[in-house]
Amino acid sequence: PDLPILERKNWLIYLLYVRRDYEECKAVIKEQLQESQGLCEYAVYVQALIFRLEGKIQESLELFQTCSILNPRSADNLKQVARSLFLLGKHKAAIEVYNEAAKLDEKDWEISHNLGVCYMYLKHFNKAQDQLNNALELNRHDLTYMMLGKIHLLEGEIDKAIEIYKKAVEFSPENIDLLTSLGLLYLQTGDYQKAFEHLGNVLTYDPGNYKATLAAGSMMQAHGDFDVALSKYKVVASSVPESPPLWNNIGMCFFGKKKYVAAISCLKRANYLAPFDWKILYNLGLVHLTMQQYASAFHFLSAAINFQPKMAELYMLLAVALTNLEDTENAKCSYEQAVALDKCNPLINLNYAVLLYNQGDKQGALSQYQEMERKVTVARESSTPDFDPEKMVEMAQKMGAALQVRESLVWTKPSKESKSKQKAAVSGKSSSQQPLGSNQALGQAMSSAAGYGKTMQLPPGAATPALPKKPPSLPLEPEQEQDSEMSPEENSAPTGDE
Amino acid sequence: FDRNGPGTSLKLPGTGQGGGPSPAVRPVTQSGRPITGFVRPSTQGGRPSTMEQAIRTPRTALTARPITSASGGYIRPGTASMLTNPDGPFINLSRLNLTKYAQKPKLAKALFEYIFHHENDIKNALDLAALATEHAQFKDWWWKVQIGKCYYRLGLYREAEKQFKSALKQQDMVDTFLYLAKVYLRLDQPVTALNLFKQGLERFPGEVTLICGIARIYEEMNNISSAAEYYKDVLKQDNTHVEAIACIGSNHFYSDQPEIALRFYRRLLQMGVYNCQLFNNLGLCCFYAQQYDMTLSSFERALFLAENEEETADVWYNLGHVAVGIGDLNLAYQCFKLTLVNNNDYAEAYNNLAVLEMRKGHTEQARALLQTASSLAPHMYEPHFNIAILSEKVGDLQRSYTAAQKSEEAFPGHVDTQQLLKHIYYFATLIFDRA
Repeated sequence: PDLPILERKNWLIYLLYVRRDYEECKAVIKEQLQESQGLCEYAVYVQALIFRLEGKIQESLELFQTCSILNPRSADNLKQVARSLFLLGKHKAAIEVYNEAAKLDEKDWEISHNLGVCYMYLKHFNKAQDQLNNALELNRHDLTYMMLGKIHLLEGEIDKAIEIYKKAVEFSPENIDLLTSLGLLYLQTGDYQKAFEHLGNVLTYDPGNYKATLAAGSMMQAHGDFDVALSKYKVVASSVPESPPLWNNIGMCFFGKKKYVAAISCLKRANYLAPFDWKILYNLGLVHLTMQQYASAFHFLSAAINFQPKMAELYMLLAVALTNLEDTENAKCSYEQAVALDKCNPLINLNYAVLLYNQGDKQGALSQYQEMERKVTVARESSTPDFDPEKMVEMAQKMGAALQVRESLVWTKPSKESKSKQKAAVSGKSSSQQPLGSNQALGQAMSSAAGYGKTMQLPPGAATPALPKKPPSLPLEPEQEQDSEMSPEENSAPTGDE
Repeated sequence: FDRNGPGTSLKLPGTGQGGGPSPAVRPVTQSGRPITGFVRPSTQGGRPSTMEQAIRTPRTALTARPITSASGGYIRPGTASMLTNPDGPFINLSRLNLTKYAQKPKLAKALFEYIFHHENDIKNALDLAALATEHAQFKDWWWKVQIGKCYYRLGLYREAEKQFKSALKQQDMVDTFLYLAKVYLRLDQPVTALNLFKQGLERFPGEVTLICGIARIYEEMNNISSAAEYYKDVLKQDNTHVEAIACIGSNHFYSDQPEIALRFYRRLLQMGVYNCQLFNNLGLCCFYAQQYDMTLSSFERALFLAENEEETADVWYNLGHVAVGIGDLNLAYQCFKLTLVNNNDYAEAYNNLAVLEMRKGHTEQARALLQTASSLAPHMYEPHFNIAILSEKVGDLQRSYTAAQKSEEAFPGHVDTQQLLKHIYYFATLIFDRA
């Protein structure tokens, strides 16, 4: 009689495993192990793979260790041991085992790639980059590109990340994840044309893609195509009904279409789902300011400030709310804070100037006005694309006239609606856009900004008597708004709803 | 009988045709049953599947009262109410000759009620009722209903059903309909019970208890929209029905209409309901409906009216939510801590505390709190999901995977969980595993 061959059923085990017939496969493995008294390496190996598929990584680790005892010269076995360690979160141990494996097999991209990922979790970014580049040289792979891009983003180098993703997309142009990431990065840097191109590609391959839809929708919102954006959102809303960024964007669409009540209810739903998201609170505050519900606006804005204390626009809006709540002292403090935090937004100074003027402090108003002019000049020179507040120009002219500032050469734009100035006192809301929405991609942010202009009325008694040439057109308080960084919002923020 | 077609049984939670808010919006009691607006003594939020599980879960998790091994709540020591004769029982049951009393219907009915309701001696009551119905030649529906009640109490549901049906043939009574429906619900046949209620409504159009029964069944089946319809019918008949008002109010609250919910709860307040829960709800509605002037005073009143520590804990928990809403995380932290001081088993508070700790960057504390939360309330998906993302961040995919699986189990439709699972699966297994 012939001696039993240890490995004689390997073909069957393999066949059953690749057909995902795991139950049958386990039975054969058991039989084979009994027959060979546990010495059949391949049976143990596949059993470990099945355990790992089932999420039992500790068990799979033990079996792979058995394998590497049975066959210590195999790099594969060591690799699997290291991989199980990696999946258990023991990155240092995994690196050691991978190094062992690398000694046995030097030309393996997997080892380099996984070493890179382990280093990334340990925050050794330089080593991680070396390993990943090494892996790319050995064998190019989508996942390696992904990780490399991620490391660049973690280090805050968006340009390098874009380069990496570009190469990756050239290499595999149909990978949705790569395309989405690249599109979002372009969005973040303000290159809308390219962003749109890439996200459009994603949507052709996968029409219901959540991230791409959200990003594309927010770009449309930035250009005022609210209906188109809404129809985009409708596609994903049924598959992702409880996403705070989605409801936030839908709310801002309605806001753009001047359906304020609908906007508030969408935003409040978003806020209910994500109570820690300052952008939703910010938008709620903004909508309530528009609705002239200053108490609620104050409430939402102060909540947003608690979550995001470093944003000048929030303090500005808070000050506007406070002004309307007849708390001028605090409004001034809030404006001071905003001015201190801000670098380039002229609206803050303009609003502050109006407040000071209405308080009768012409000197302070003048200095704020000059500060604003300086910022406007800077903005002109750098030609920021999203700087287009017509209303602001108009308001500034009035302000300038009221303050008798002659050198208004900054204002070249003719104010078309100068007739309607008196009317503007009622509450002329102009084009209001507010794209927002956090995208999940790699925790990054894209920015799209838009101007929002609006005038509000102050109590009529506030107009000061010293109005030189122009007829008294002063009861005004411009307040505009623009915003939108979108933030690193991955849904990684655990939400604790009740 | 068809037991488990979707939507025909009360035992499978989440089988309803939807229409209600998902667990992401409305909190749940046991997997899939949303909390109701009104707690009745017979409320059952899900059932334990094994004896072991029933023993291990908190005693108030399934009914409005602490669970006992059998319905021992019915047994009372017969001392306190013996006012007529303080030295001993009023009647010694074992000495009675039931045959004799059964001959005299006037005496028999009173005696039966005494035995059934006061002495709680079902067997003797059943004996008396059997003799009496024989004496009445099976023509008195009242006796049949009483026999049915005895059977029901003894757990003989089919026999009880027979008695109630035969009583219904003789005389239509609202009571009988309600008893029969109760039997059907015990047999887990909600659709039969619904049909019965609708028959009853044909005989007694606009009967509040029947409509309310229908609404309760729909609510148990998670078909919230139909339940709300019927509760509205109840209110058309009786606009002071506390249960209907409370249920509709909580429905509105959880479907993004806190303003309307506020009106319903204020109606309850007008009617003179004055307790901790109502003010708690009022406070929440006021806050979410942006009526800031009434919010905190309602919560203060609720704290003042709280009768036990669990209620105090509820109020502090909600105050914590308000604090989160105004962005004051320190206050929120204190509120959730106070919740736990008052009720140490408050899983939601553990979860929320963990989220706050996470925001401060204290990962280990957060993880410990989440573990506590998930072991206290395995039916809530939030702690599982939070553990999953926490572990995923540090790279512990094993733990993340198991937690995400539990989250998926607790809330099968949760999109983020599914994405996380997919991500882990893709990341962890498929690519590198070559056989």
